[in-house]
Amino acid sequence: MMNSGASNNIMSSSAASASGNSAPGPGLKTYFKTPEGKYKLQYEKTHPAGLLHYAHGKTVTQVTLAHLKEKPMQAPSQSSSTLGVSSGVRSAAARFLGGGNGSRALSFVGGNGGNKPVGGSSTRIGSLGASSSNNVVGNPNFDGKGTYLVFNVGDAIFVSDLNSQDKDPIKSIHFSNSNPVCHAYDPDAKDGHDLLIGLNSGDVYSVSLRQQLQDVGKKLVGAQHYNKDGSINNSRCTCIAWIPNGDGSFVVSHADGNMYAYEKNKDGSGDPSFPVIKDQTQFSVSHARYSKNPVARWHICQGSVNGIAFSADGAHIATVGRDGYLRVFDYKNEQLICGGKSYYGALLCCAWSMDGKYILTGGEDDLVQVWSMEDRKIVAWGEGHNSWVSGVAFDSYWLAPNSDGVGENVVYRFGSVGQDTQMLLWDLEMDELVVPVRRAPGGSPTFSTGSQSSHWDSACPVGTLQPSPSMQDVPKLSPLVAHRVHTEPLSGLLFTQESVLTVCREGHIKIWMRPGSAETQSTNSDSFMSTSLKEKAAMAAGKGGKQ
Amino acid sequence: MVDGVTLTMGVAGSKLEKALGDHFPEGERYFGLENFGNTCYCNSVLQALYFCVPFREQLLEYYSNNKSQGEAEENLLTCLAELFSQINSQKKKTGVIAPKRFVQRLRKENDVFRGYMHQDAHEFLNFLLNQLVDILEKECPKATTENVLNGPGNGHVNGVKQEPAATWIHKNFQGILTNETRCLRCETVTARDETFLDLSLDIEQNSSITSCLKNFSSTETLNAEDKFFCDKCCSLQEAQKRMKIKKSPRILVIHLKRFKYMEQLNRHKKLSYRVVFPLELKLSTTLDAGDSAYSLFSVVVHVGTGPNHGHYVSLVKSHNHWLFFDDENAEMIDESAIQTFFGSAQEYSSNTDHGYILFYESLSGDNKSL
Repeated sequence: MMNSGASNNIMSSSAASASGNSAPGPGLKTYFKTPEGKYKLQYEKTHPAGLLHYAHGKTVTQVTLAHLKEKPMQAPSQSSSTLGVSSGVRSAAARFLGGGNGSRALSFVGGNGGNKPVGGSSTRIGSLGASSSNNVVGNPNFDGKGTYLVFNVGDAIFVSDLNSQDKDPIKSIHFSNSNPVCHAYDPDAKDGHDLLIGLNSGDVYSVSLRQQLQDVGKKLVGAQHYNKDGSINNSRCTCIAWIPNGDGSFVVSHADGNMYAYEKNKDGSGDPSFPVIKDQTQFSVSHARYSKNPVARWHICQGSVNGIAFSADGAHIATVGRDGYLRVFDYKNEQLICGGKSYYGALLCCAWSMDGKYILTGGEDDLVQVWSMEDRKIVAWGEGHNSWVSGVAFDSYWLAPNSDGVGENVVYRFGSVGQDTQMLLWDLEMDELVVPVRRAPGGSPTFSTGSQSSHWDSACPVGTLQPSPSMQDVPKLSPLVAHRVHTEPLSGLLFTQESVLTVCREGHIKIWMRPGSAETQSTNSDSFMSTSLKEKAAMAAGKGGKQ
Repeated sequence: MVDGVTLTMGVAGSKLEKALGDHFPEGERYFGLENFGNTCYCNSVLQALYFCVPFREQLLEYYSNNKSQGEAEENLLTCLAELFSQINSQKKKTGVIAPKRFVQRLRKENDVFRGYMHQDAHEFLNFLLNQLVDILEKECPKATTENVLNGPGNGHVNGVKQEPAATWIHKNFQGILTNETRCLRCETVTARDETFLDLSLDIEQNSSITSCLKNFSSTETLNAEDKFFCDKCCSLQEAQKRMKIKKSPRILVIHLKRFKYMEQLNRHKKLSYRVVFPLELKLSTTLDAGDSAYSLFSVVVHVGTGPNHGHYVSLVKSHNHWLFFDDENAEMIDESAIQTFFGSAQEYSSNTDHGYILFYESLSGDNKSL
């Protein structure tokens, strides 16, 4: 089913681009094959053309999936509006990510060059056509439920509708002080502030995504501003995460090796009275006096903390950093549980399996590492990238073709993206890991399969960091699929129920439909049925977030 | 021009001093080098070598030993030693020095460097190290015997017995490669060891040094017009060839082959490919059980779009700070700025500053060959 009127030609033009006509780059295929079938390129999302080239290369694009639920009724309906929200929401998509921060981040930023807001051409509302069904921005009655992509490019945050064919974003928000570099979304946020944004300057904002979509301007509205002008920490934000079940608390990691915890309903005006860090190499936690925000500072390591990820239950937080170490902490007790070093070089990204048993890390040794929480050590190395690994994620929607759900042989599917422009998919079958037998000095490694299961060596004691293992001591995985998806180095990937999303450093996003998800299925078909929502412009204001 | 430059750079020097403040390393000197007309290829490499601490220390030791022996004949080694000692003994902590005698000597020794044309920094490094080796070997012909005593397990391994004289240049820069060729007819493996002072790697777009090193050691099939003469079969045969690193050097110098000869163009072209290099690296070798770990301490950067023009600068790590040397100029940079020298992911890019020669230092302090 097609939308009527003016949106027709837009749809056909972006459909053409999705099939690869708009300069996909030499040799880039629009599909890739896996044992379970073909993944096809469905949509591409990007920022307005010709935007901000001076800012490119300075900020790496990250993408966050934001599922806006139906707005709760807060007042009797005043007017009924027929809004075509161009997205077919499948509520199952509410839990999109294995453990949350699937795609963590390369965090190189050379500094913060152009902060000049770009006028005029940057917002592409006009390109959406006059069709009321798409005219989502600027309507205060707009409910906006649906699934959105939030991504940063240069000095702006863009919001795109995941399930529309439109390549251009529906909203842009420009920052005059610094470039946004990381963001996080919590679909269950109760007080309306569901989107977190971290800046190159160290500043942090929490806002309501819905309120941003309702606003016509190009500035953040109704934001709570933390670490203003970097008053507590002026180093770059590297990663930001909501604490699962944390009642509105969140953490932000910085390029100087610190991580700060914030709680909602605490004064954001800052009390920078954290003690001086005596030993940069030692982990330490300090709490703020007078219960002000940030409520705690975790000094994690020397050099940048490049990525953080909470386990799905919020009990554990994993961090990776410039020093090459993965660290796993008991968040509540602020204690190191385990961790270890990369083969060499910095680690750039990390992600949890949904069940909290495994952690993936990727980094400057071109390897994808699989860590076991049970053994508290590396259990496998994935070899296949030709450059640094910038994003890793478990596919929590994937079911092994013949899994009966009771078998001992648990299979995990995960993906990784790298600066080699490739996305790799991997299967982790614990029973079938090839386990190198510890070799006698000078001998050549022999291999045995099976029998030893995942316990190729004993588990490591609690609270210790493991040194780099030797190449021959770690079982190796080979990728199931290697697919070159962009012409630029990649910065992240996400799994949704229907698709895999890849994003490159320069801000181009591709959405690859899983096999079986009929690619012809127009998700827009729902749009005119999501009708007559009696809703009220219950402005998310009143939460006090006046800028 | 030169005078003016010296003046302004004096100011920049104090800026560097200010930036370092109390962290200015004890006894360290940061001096820019004057450009004598396209001598940036030389200046960038000299800075990298100066901040190669084991090399510098050996050279300064050589200088002090030689000074006491009275007037020696001037050569590249004595000129370099004199230059390093001159920098090292400056009263000021920062400033500019003119490497005049060294450049004059260089131009005398080799006509390639005589003109005022743009030169290749890697060719210069190669020439310089080999000259230093020649001079040292001439001065100390008995170095060979010393080496035999120290070589680990020399007796057991083919081809190492004839290891060349171990000058301190060798001790710092030399590694051993094994060139393995397996005849596909008789399956005989012929292994030949070669020494190297640096590794020249082919590069690919959007790859890493790790990946380039892997490709360097990957198996290559010799066939068609490129067959291998098998001694056993006494004829040309198809064969598989592999280069493995047998012994890793103390200082690993990696040269990225950014200047590629394009046959259809009949000239060299610069490859601006994005090749990422980590601050830490490991090499697995066939001789040692473990892997050798390295830390990046210097990068010679080529600036420009073509092979026959452009500029060279260098990034240098000294006492955990990164410094940027551009001829006379020296300034502090953040470690995270190194990523701007990886190259361009797209062919036409405004960024033309590309890492060209990488210097890694072994982390396993006491190297086996010492």
